[in-house]
Parts: sequence; structure tokens; C-alpha cells
Amino acid sequence: MIEPATGAVTQPAETAGVPKIEASGVRKVFSSRRGEVLAIDSIDFVAEAGQFISIVGPSGCGKSTFLYIVGGFVEASDGEVRVDGDLVTGADPNRGIVFQEFVLFPWKTVLGNVTYGLARQGVPRQERKERARQLIDTVKLTGFEKHYPKELSGGMKQRVALARTLIMDPDVLLMDEPFGAIDAQTRVVLQAELLQIWERTTKTVLFVTHSVEEALYLSDKVYVLSNRPARVREVIDVDLPRPRDPEAILGRPEYVQLHKRIWHLLQEERSKHVDDPG
Amino acid sequence: MSTTRGEPRQFIARARHLAPQVLLPALSVTMLLGLWEIAPRLGWVRDTSIPPFSEVIAEVVDVLGRPGFGTNVASSAQRWGLGLAIATAIGIPLGTLMGRWRPLYKLVDPLLVVTYPVPKTALILLFVLWWEAGTVSRVGIVITGCLIPIVISSYHGAHAIEERLVWSARGLGIGPIRRGVRVILPAALPQILSGLRLAIAISIFTVLGSELLIRGDGIGAFMFTALDNGQTLTVFAMSTIVATIGFLLDLIYVQAVRRSLPWLEGDI
Repeated sequence: MIEPATGAVTQPAETAGVPKIEASGVRKVFSSRRGEVLAIDSIDFVAEAGQFISIVGPSGCGKSTFLYIVGGFVEASDGEVRVDGDLVTGADPNRGIVFQEFVLFPWKTVLGNVTYGLARQGVPRQERKERARQLIDTVKLTGFEKHYPKELSGGMKQRVALARTLIMDPDVLLMDEPFGAIDAQTRVVLQAELLQIWERTTKTVLFVTHSVEEALYLSDKVYVLSNRPARVREVIDVDLPRPRDPEAILGRPEYVQLHKRIWHLLQEERSKHVDDPG
Repeated sequence: MSTTRGEPRQFIARARHLAPQVLLPALSVTMLLGLWEIAPRLGWVRDTSIPPFSEVIAEVVDVLGRPGFGTNVASSAQRWGLGLAIATAIGIPLGTLMGRWRPLYKLVDPLLVVTYPVPKTALILLFVLWWEAGTVSRVGIVITGCLIPIVISSYHGAHAIEERLVWSARGLGIGPIRRGVRVILPAALPQILSGLRLAIAISIFTVLGSELLIRGDGIGAFMFTALDNGQTLTVFAMSTIVATIGFLLDLIYVQAVRRSLPWLEGDI
């Protein structure tokens, strides 16, 4: 029980029994002028520390909304989310988020964007710069420190957004279709880099995507959600050995099986949409 | 380096590209100024109502040297600067808050809707009635004229912010007040600056309007006195000077914004 004072507070402790993230009975109703819309019916979700978990589902099924609830940006109508056993009541730097639309601060340079969160935490200037330099190196943007977001490509912007989040050293990384707006070539590169970062830092990642291939390549576990209102349709374990090679993995029979299975589930859910006018 | 001189074809291509951009606008302006010059000289219009362009330019040089000119410009500039500064100081925070806090928008919006179509110069006489023909009335009319475009543009700027940008700041642990000043305000800045550009044009117009109606001193009063004395040429010269000042202010403003905010995308 008594741990040696190593000072490694940010490392996810292997506390048996308490999962890193636990959502139970999460429900979300949006009220608008046209009435109430049930976005999420009920989601139960568990992530162990250090796991990489993808969430897939039909377009508009509420998977991003679920991610925002875990992030503390959107309030659940019912149910609760706990991280390390603590109830989520709002946003927290310990749960970093990366959006599909990059959303960098356009008035800040690459360096300014990356160090933005640290400045608020009272980290000394010199240390801020050092950590920023390391992270900018990690996301391969060295030489672009003084560029403004408008001068960067989509892929580079997303690297900045990732660095801006990672510099806070969050235990949990929430990613909302982060590579959805990036060209296919760059996406492959960024996926591999994300895996490298994840393997090095043992963060818990929640990754929303609409790409089955992406989910299988990256994840330990895939949550397949139903059509709106979202429920968990199936939880699929991805027992593919790591490190994974994005090309070699495609030929493995387990991969083909899993791909087929998820594809089939999604197809079923999509077709429900046609029958159900709601 | 030497390619431009060495390749005439490239030069021709560039000239062809430049022609519609530079030559056509220059052509229309030259034609207008030419007509202005010729019409009074050929007797199409009386030169007491429209003096030729070249004479107006000569008069401009003369007016700039007159002792009364500098002091009148100074008092106009003072009213202009004060009015615009106050309108900016009120308008930007008010509009930005309206964009982020619905109840304030609901509270203020009806006032904007009602006052927007009122011609601001028509209020000058009321202002004189309330505050007499002094600085307060004149500055007041500049504020009234500039406030609405500044408030509306700030509101739209703050309202249209990508919500995930604000979330990104929240996710980095930045508190609500700091978010307002350091995230929402700069994010709304491109639109606020467009509103400010509009306000600069309106402020010149309202200063002049107030001085033409209230008289006393200032550029407007200077012009009216010249008209009273039958100095049409001076009136034309003053109008030319005011137009040039307005043009230069706009040019300087746009350049200053461009230089000081290199991150801006698109036009303001």
C-alpha cells in the first residue's frame, strides 16, 4: 500500500479494481426549439489505464457527444463518468482533447500554441520552452516554431494541436476523429506517430473514428455504437500483436475477421436508420 | 534574378495581367478628373459652382498654408479622436459580452434595432438642445454614430467563435475571465476590426456633420464660412482635403492592422 516516494505522480498507478475511466448509464438529451432529441440512450464504458480504445458508430450516432461528456465539456442528462474513481464535473487538463477541426489559437505561433496551457500553470519560462522544444520535436515540427497556424497544412496543424494537449502530460487523451480532415497519405504517418507516442507514454486513449481500419490498427478494444440514440452495440477486443505494421496487419486472418465483424455491425445499424424515420 | 529582363514574353504576360488591375481603375479616375477640368472651362457648368480641378488643387495648397486651417483641423481631430475612442471603449466589451451571454443580447438588441435606422445627424439638434452647442454634443454625435457598427461587429465576432476553440482553452485549464480576454476577444478580433474600420469612416462623417450644423469651429465650420462668403473654390478645396484625410486614415488603419497582426487571415 505504501509506495516509495518516487515523485512519479503523473504515471497511471496500477490500482486494481478502479478502472481509469468508467462511464455508467450515460444518457444525453438535447433540447431544441423542435423538441427533445435523444442523442445517447445509455452507454456503459470501461477503460483500463494505458488502454487504447476506439469508438466507432454510424455518422451522427452520438459518439463525439459521448467523448465530450467524458471530457467534461458537455453535461450528461443522466448517468455518470468517473476518472480514477473521481466524478467528472468539468474540463480538466488531465484529460486532454484533440478535435477534428484542429482549432488552434490563430493569433499564437506554433510555440505559443504549444506552451499556452503551461503558462497558466505557472511553469517557469525556461522549463516551458524546454518542454515545448521536446514536444515540437516529438511531433516533428522543429523549424516551424515561429509560424502562425494560417501558414501550416492540415496535418501540421493537427500535430500542433496534439503537442498543445500532450504538453500538459494528461493521463487521458481524448481524440475526436483527429485525422478525419487530413489527407490519406498524411493520415497514415500521423497514425503511426500517435502509436509511437502512446507506446512511450502509456496514456489512456479514447479515439472516436468512423474508420474501421483506423480503429483496428490503433486499438486494444473497439466500442461499436448503435445508430442514434446511441447504445453500446458490441465491445470487440483487438488481439493483434504490437507493434503493428499498418501494411502487414491487413493480411492477418484475425484482422480480416474483426474487420468483417465490425463492418457488418455498422452496416446493420446504418440500415436501421432507413426503417426508422426518427 | 535576370530572368525578368531576359524574358520579354514573361514581361508581356505580366503586363497583360496588370492591365485590368491597374489601368482600368486609373482610366475611370482620369476620365472623371478630366471631365471635372474641362466642363467648367468649356462652359458646360458655371465655374462659380464647379471650379476646374486644377484650380481646386492650387487652392488646396493655399488653404493648407492659412493660419486658421491648422487650429480648425486640430479641434475637429480632437472631437473625432475622443468620440471614436469612447465608442470603441464601450462598444467592444459590450458587443463581445452580448455575443457570449444571451440575456445581455436579448436586453440590448431591441435598442439596436430601433436606433439603427435613425439618421445620426438628425440627432445633432436634440443633442444641442440637451447639452448646448459644445464639445459634449459634438463628441456625443460621433459616439452615437460609431457605437452601433462597433457593437454589432463585436457581437457577431464573439458569437461566431468556434465553440471548440473555447473548449480547447477550457481543456488547458484556463479560467472563464482569462478565456474572455485572452481567447474570445482575439478570436473575435478580425470582425471587431472590420467594424472599427467602418466606424472610422462614420466618425469623419459625423464630425463634419456636427460642425456643419453647429458651426463654431472645426473643419465643417470653416467650410460653411467659406460658402457664406461665396468662396466656392475654398469649399471645394476643403472637401478635397477631407476626402484625402479619410482615404489616408483608412489606408493607414488597414496597413497598421496588417503589420501588427501578422496572423490575420483574409481582409478586414
